[in-house]
Amino acid sequence: MASLYVKDDAPAFSDLDQKKTEMTDKLKLREDERLAQIDQRREEKESTEAKDENTKYFTENFRSLKNEIEAKLVECEKIPKTKLGEYFENVSLNISKLQKFLADSTLYLPKYEIRQAQETISKLQNELSEMKEKMVPKKKFAFKSKKKTAAKAPEKPIEVAPAPTVTKVIELNECNFADKNNEELTKSSDELNNKDVSLARLNHCTVKLFGAPSAIHINKLQDCTILCGPVSGSVFIDNCVDCKFVLACQQLRIHHTTKTHFYIHVTSRAIIEDCNTVEFAPYNLEYPNLDSHYEVSGLNKARNSWDDVDDFNWLASDAKSPNWNILDVNKRVTTWK
Amino acid sequence: MGLLTILKKMKQKEKEVRLLMLGLDNAGKTTILKKFNGEDIDTISPTLGFNIKTLEHRGFKLNVWDVGGQKSLRSYWRNYFESTDGLIWVVDSADRRRLQDTRQELDALLLEERLAGATLLVFANKQDLPGALSATEIREALNLDNIKSHHWLILGCSAVTGENLLQGVDWIIDDIASRIFTQD
Repeated sequence: MASLYVKDDAPAFSDLDQKKTEMTDKLKLREDERLAQIDQRREEKESTEAKDENTKYFTENFRSLKNEIEAKLVECEKIPKTKLGEYFENVSLNISKLQKFLADSTLYLPKYEIRQAQETISKLQNELSEMKEKMVPKKKFAFKSKKKTAAKAPEKPIEVAPAPTVTKVIELNECNFADKNNEELTKSSDELNNKDVSLARLNHCTVKLFGAPSAIHINKLQDCTILCGPVSGSVFIDNCVDCKFVLACQQLRIHHTTKTHFYIHVTSRAIIEDCNTVEFAPYNLEYPNLDSHYEVSGLNKARNSWDDVDDFNWLASDAKSPNWNILDVNKRVTTWK
Repeated sequence: MGLLTILKKMKQKEKEVRLLMLGLDNAGKTTILKKFNGEDIDTISPTLGFNIKTLEHRGFKLNVWDVGGQKSLRSYWRNYFESTDGLIWVVDSADRRRLQDTRQELDALLLEERLAGATLLVFANKQDLPGALSATEIREALNLDNIKSHHWLILGCSAVTGENLLQGVDWIIDDIASRIFTQD
């Protein structure tokens, strides 16, 4: 019927033919678009699936490793005392492996998962150190490693002998006070600014460092008062007794120190190690030029964590270390001379 | 896991380097790590535990472990020795009093079997301080010339200014790469 009609009406045929090709072209285009869309959707879906798969793989493995460690932590109460050290080391190794696994997987993990996993790891570490504290109190710390190195030292007896003379010559930095008794010692900002300062073996002295040094090393002070401007870097204090320190700095490390008061401005966190009866108060030193010294040091005046002290001999996070305290407001010195 | 991801991971594994950064407390380990990674260094607290950073550098994936140097943490250092490719030993060049301590700790590490294959880079840090000892003086104080067991290099550096950090890391990577990734 159609062919007949076409034969009879030639002009109409060419017109219709054109329409037909137009229409098929249009349809083909739409079909192509549709297929492309489907492909695109499929690709998208596949890639998200791959992501989900990766995350799933990670969470499953992570969880089983975590459960393993937790089980080990619970079981440690049944382990004989002599084997505990080794046992804890093993658990700690497992935790590092877990950390490594997380580090390796960060490439494809969503941020939320990474954070969650990181928190889990920190929690495990805390649990481990608490367990350690509980099962093997204190004695695991510090001195063991020293004993070991001391035992190894005799292997080179010839070199150990001349070494002390070398250290004696270079022991103190250029800018220093050392071996003084009952004196008032002062250094000005010209001598101090951007320098590293050493204080060593002082007795009953008052030291005024009114400037902005870069770093301070302090060793063996007894019954001294140290008044110091803002330090751009770190202050390291070792072996002090019955002292008062008034200082501002970025980092503060205090070792082997007792019966000492600290009036501090510290922009990170102060730490103590092998200390006891040390007390803390906020920095309250005032002298002419203090503000300009703050500028030289670049210390942020607004940030002060004077009351947030980490004790490296006290790893329990739920209880405060008994080795340090906040100095009673009524006992604080308010003006320094 | 898709095939592509597996291939990608294998490719990465090939150029993965594990660096362990140790040294006494107050040496500047965390500051070096953060400075190298372009992070803020003004708020760093003494490290209670450890930091781990994965950095991409020159096509290598660096896993850097920065472990706290406080005395009470040093006995835990050995937990991190396993499969270390490079050891970065950091020294506070202005801490003259404890040079012997740092030498003893380093000597003990170099006897460690699990670190036997590691390349050693010594950073004589804090060269920005006027009282800092030079790299040569530190080299003598630590008696580095006696080290025959490890490939080593000492560089003066400053974590505050960033001086020589890149050079040091480049050297240790090159040394490790020449030992491990010979097929490249």
